[in-house]
Amino acid sequence: MKMRIYSLIAKEFPFFLVMPALIWQVLFFYVPLLWIVYLSITHVGAPFFNFTLAHYTGLFEAAFFKIIARSLFLAFVNAVICLLIAYPIAYFAARSPRNWRNFFLFLLILPFWTSFVVHVYAWFYVLDTNGLINSTLLKIGLIKEPLAMVNTLFAVFLVMIYCYLPFMVMPLYSALEKFNWTLLEASMDLGATPAKTFFKITVPMTLPSIKTGFFLVFVPSFGEFVIPALLGGSKKMYVGSLIYHYFLVARDAVTGAAFTCLSSLILVAACLIIAWGFRKIFAGSGGVAQ
Amino acid sequence: MRSIRLEGIKKLYNGEVILENINLTIPSGKFFALLGPSGSGKTTLLRIIAGFEAVDSGKIFLGNQEITHVPINKRRINTVFQNYALFPHFNVFDNVAYSLKLKKLPKEVIEQKVIKILKSVHLEKHIYKSIHQLSGGQQQRVALARAIINEPDVLLLDEPLAALDLKLREKMLLELIDLQSTLKTTFIYVTHDQFEALTVADTMAIMNQDGEIEQVGTPKEIYEFPISTFVAKFVGTTNILKGTLRTSESTPKIELEGLGAFEVAVPASKEWGRDGSMVYLSVRPEKIDISKTPLQGFSNSLTGIVESIVYHGRSTQYNVRLKNETRLHVFEQNEEHFQQEVIDYDNEVYLYWQKENAVLLEK
Repeated sequence: MKMRIYSLIAKEFPFFLVMPALIWQVLFFYVPLLWIVYLSITHVGAPFFNFTLAHYTGLFEAAFFKIIARSLFLAFVNAVICLLIAYPIAYFAARSPRNWRNFFLFLLILPFWTSFVVHVYAWFYVLDTNGLINSTLLKIGLIKEPLAMVNTLFAVFLVMIYCYLPFMVMPLYSALEKFNWTLLEASMDLGATPAKTFFKITVPMTLPSIKTGFFLVFVPSFGEFVIPALLGGSKKMYVGSLIYHYFLVARDAVTGAAFTCLSSLILVAACLIIAWGFRKIFAGSGGVAQ
Repeated sequence: MRSIRLEGIKKLYNGEVILENINLTIPSGKFFALLGPSGSGKTTLLRIIAGFEAVDSGKIFLGNQEITHVPINKRRINTVFQNYALFPHFNVFDNVAYSLKLKKLPKEVIEQKVIKILKSVHLEKHIYKSIHQLSGGQQQRVALARAIINEPDVLLLDEPLAALDLKLREKMLLELIDLQSTLKTTFIYVTHDQFEALTVADTMAIMNQDGEIEQVGTPKEIYEFPISTFVAKFVGTTNILKGTLRTSESTPKIELEGLGAFEVAVPASKEWGRDGSMVYLSVRPEKIDISKTPLQGFSNSLTGIVESIVYHGRSTQYNVRLKNETRLHVFEQNEEHFQQEVIDYDNEVYLYWQKENAVLLEK
């Protein structure tokens, strides 16, 4: 009887089944988001619905846009490098024998077994002046002075790529694993070189996954603050670190909210431009470029 | 249109021999069928000709030019794949135009050629459709158009009709024959279906389980004069009888255990056709006459009991148990609505065949 009620609900009101997820999403994502937006456009201490744009006016300064630009640069370069590294990995994994593939997947998932922050700290001790790399290189005499790696852009990128790479590999792997490799033979049979085949067949056919992976890396990298904060030094501010600063250090939630909204809007705009760029590059993926 | 010549092709896969010393000449401008059971390496041989697989030893010639080490995209050979391998992100036009666009032909020339070829395969109404909107038969035609538009010297077809239903398959076979005779391209058609091979081929080769070519010939030669029991059994249906050859008397005979001696036509040139050697006799079911009453004028006759009857429509198959417990299959054409003589289960029947219509085989 119970089962029949469930199946009845599932059949007649499939909407019911997404309710738990939906409630969660609304409570912990949409409500806070709206709250932030509301904060950013309301007078401090005033009664409800007393709107103003005053909190934004202070943000239209070069320093803020420099921070946003720096974060965009970090996110974009990170996503591009992740794509360039992840594609060969996913390709190789998808083309290897079936029982090897599970092993690759295991290796890919392995880092998720420990906390993200622990990873970043671990990298800190690897890259530090007295860290693993420097002490080893000093010991074997390859260098006289320790290399400055911590608090450089290099360290930030290295660890960003390390942390975000799986998010790029996953969608690419799942697309390539289902890929019909005969299509590559067909393409070469019709006169295409292996390189042409890759760019005319493989890439366009995995484009949805390339986009997925790209945004899966690009969007969170934009707001990333743990890695730049720990490995990038305190001088260089990023969007994530500035928001953190406003809310938790300066206790200026209103300006923080305004900056959050502004940077989010710019992120959305950047995503739209990138999506347009993808379309532009692969325009007429219906044919071989003349 | 050029010929293909294979010299001593050998192919190993994980240390296992797939193809062993293949020597084969595929005549230029003809419809050639490569027939074999699954696992005989016929698809591997096709993939070697296309360039998808490298050989372990041996040489491949296209006309007089050796192409053993020529890469896939430089061979003037195109393939129709078993599952078509159409590019799903292209529409019909772009699939067919792919090779022309790679050659960077002018746009108008490409358009003209594509439309012309799509008309010839009756797809002119579907030029801008996506691949997913097409039926299996239509996809098959797109694959065909895509492969022939570049006017290859040789067209390879890897079980191209396997996914189609019987009626459509028969129709496509006839269209393929027409297409080949119009284009005069060398067609190499790989199949495990003897009906398809016999229908389309000018010449055919039979491959066996060991990856060797057993026999090459016209469909009629293969069917009527198989050189081994393998070929006789694989192409069509046959009855194989094992016995001892007797050539001491004026007419050579085969002695079958428990059945007596039967006249045979011994191929004169065969050195194994000596007195006392173990041989096989292959008699096709349709070459045997069946009757409830004795008949005159046949060189060989036998009696047996009808064990089962299978009605096929155009013919009826009788399975007859002989005295020594072996079974013979007999096909009778159903020429009349009402048979003069009704043969039923458990009837005792006489079976007849002419010695010229049976084939004596060494193995």
